Amino acid sequence: MAYSDKVIDHYENPRNVGKLDADAPNVGTGMVGAPACGDVMRLQIEVDESGVIKDAKFKTYGCGSAIASSSLATEWMKGKTLDEAEQIKNTTIAEELALPPVKIHCSVLAEDAIKAAVRDYKEKQAKQ
Amino acid sequence: MSEPATHFELFGLPQAFVLDAGELDRRYREAVKLVHPDRFVAASGPEQRAAVERAAALNEAYQVLKSPSRRALYLLNLQAALDEEATVQDPEFLFQQMEWREELEELGNSADFAAIDTFRQRLIRARQDVDQEFSGVWQDPAQRPRAERLVRRMQFLDKVLYEVRQLEERLDDF
Repeated sequence: MAYSDKVIDHYENPRNVGKLDADAPNVGTGMVGAPACGDVMRLQIEVDESGVIKDAKFKTYGCGSAIASSSLATEWMKGKTLDEAEQIKNTTIAEELALPPVKIHCSVLAEDAIKAAVRDYKEKQAKQ
Repeated sequence: MSEPATHFELFGLPQAFVLDAGELDRRYREAVKLVHPDRFVAASGPEQRAAVERAAALNEAYQVLKSPSRRALYLLNLQAALDEEATVQDPEFLFQQMEWREELEELGNSADFAAIDTFRQRLIRARQDVDQEFSGVWQDPAQRPRAERLVRRMQFLDKVLYEVRQLEERLDDF
């Protein structure tokens, strides 16, 4: 199976790989996994006072499509409000990366990671 | 047509998670012998086809039952179908997964065989704990969510253990 140029680009030069302080009150962490292939994805967002995502980082252990999907997700989330970030759909990610049908679940994983990170951030804020 | 036999029934084994691997091997070898193509050289076309189909069913059943995680998944699917592609959100375990993967990455750079072996032993112990817990809960319908979470954990542990083997093979090639 051939990867698209965009997947290869994100795989070879992943954007925003790294870690944010998961204990910080303005950081939301999403941890998701795909049991069938064993992929694990951590996606984190740092949110400023006005509710805009000013930084996003990820770390993914998985195939090229999973890495590319989460790399692209962090790129798209930066500068967006939480509500806007939650609107990012797996189908848009899959389309942008030209993922083949067997790799669609990688984009689903990325969408679920975005939602989990936003949810974690909101839960933290609610507790404040 | 009657219900197709379960993988367990094919080998006359009890439908259970804890399984005697030696006994499974023995029954599998006996069963495939009976449908070996050599025995059907003089048989009719339909008989030959039936033997080939039975051999394929035996192979599939054997592969599933031999692997604890596939066996566990199969047992749960017999009770009620499980969404095999569903995203797992089990933060505590996924956090642990991340740590293991990071550790494995570092081990890959160090090429320290003793450390890799210690790491593998830890994973195997974690795996044994999960297997043992699963054997205690899978039959209880009230514990179904727990059982599903444990099967997922087995699958992720299989994956890390597979990557440990890959790493060792890579280092052996040097």
